[in-house]
Amino acid sequence: MTLWGVLQVITLVLIVAGAALAVWLRDLLAAVIALAAASLLLSLEFYLLQAPDVAIAEAGIGAALTTAIYVLAIRKTRRKEEE
Amino acid sequence: MKWVRVGALLLVVGLLFGAAAWMRPFGRPSLAEMDAYFIQKAQAEAGANNVVTSVVFDYRGFDTLGEATVLFCAVVGVALVLRRVLR
Amino acid sequence: MTVVVRTVARIIAPMILAFGGYVIMHGHLTPGGGFQGGAVAASALALLAISFGFGRWKGIKAPLSFLEDLGALAFVALGFLGIGYTFFRNVLAASGGLFGAPVPPGPNPGLLETGGTLPLMNWAVGLKVIAGLGSVVLLLGLFGGEDDR
Repeated sequence: MTLWGVLQVITLVLIVAGAALAVWLRDLLAAVIALAAASLLLSLEFYLLQAPDVAIAEAGIGAALTTAIYVLAIRKTRRKEEE
Repeated sequence: MKWVRVGALLLVVGLLFGAAAWMRPFGRPSLAEMDAYFIQKAQAEAGANNVVTSVVFDYRGFDTLGEATVLFCAVVGVALVLRRVLR
Repeated sequence: MTVVVRTVARIIAPMILAFGGYVIMHGHLTPGGGFQGGAVAASALALLAISFGFGRWKGIKAPLSFLEDLGALAFVALGFLGIGYTFFRNVLAASGGLFGAPVPPGPNPGLLETGGTLPLMNWAVGLKVIAGLGSVVLLLGLFGGEDDR
């Protein structure tokens, strides 16, 4: 397998790990940060797939703005998830 | 009831993996006439080096108009729901 | 926010804004375009607003609404510019006028004054996306009163 393929597999595994972490964490702020990390890795994956347009859009919307909106919503409500 | 859910989940995962194995080889999309047309003619017709932008704003301008409408509706919706803060 | 966040935001926000402007301005030459550059610039606005508190940004709401309307109207007007042929016809491309320089064929770095209506539409959509996403973040931040932590 080439270096490109290895990098891609690592990125994809980390994306799934970040998404699972975002579901599993009880602290909502930490879950949002995990979601942002997964989103940033997804933008790296788009870049590796030679789609820089989508990569810029994903980094701007998914990693930055969505995180900002979630952080604002958590600031207005509660930080801990309740059963 | 739990085992039904697990079975359904396994079925969906199996179907997804089967579909992934059945896909075209990676990096070789199916041939279409429009691809070659855009790549060859976009520089002369739309006058831009970025073929993606010339597709988004020139050949498929209606799509972008719809996207702009969606964004506008989203912003208007947020402003309507949260309009109390403006006073 | 703390002084660390404020200092980092003060340094890094102009760079993000400049990168967003670059992505919008060179949308017809390099990857990106109005939507992507607008999203990047709006994330800089969100960074500034979150780190410095939302109280001082209350006055910017009306200009943002105006910019959003201006962007949308400019986009539709540029689409109507080619109504003599078809809607969204690129009439300015390779005409010798505004953004109308002929494009050298084949792979090349490109010229900034090419593209016809594409750069103008990029700016229109970029303004619209900056104003729209910025006002969404601003409204969410101002909702339910000011609690600056």
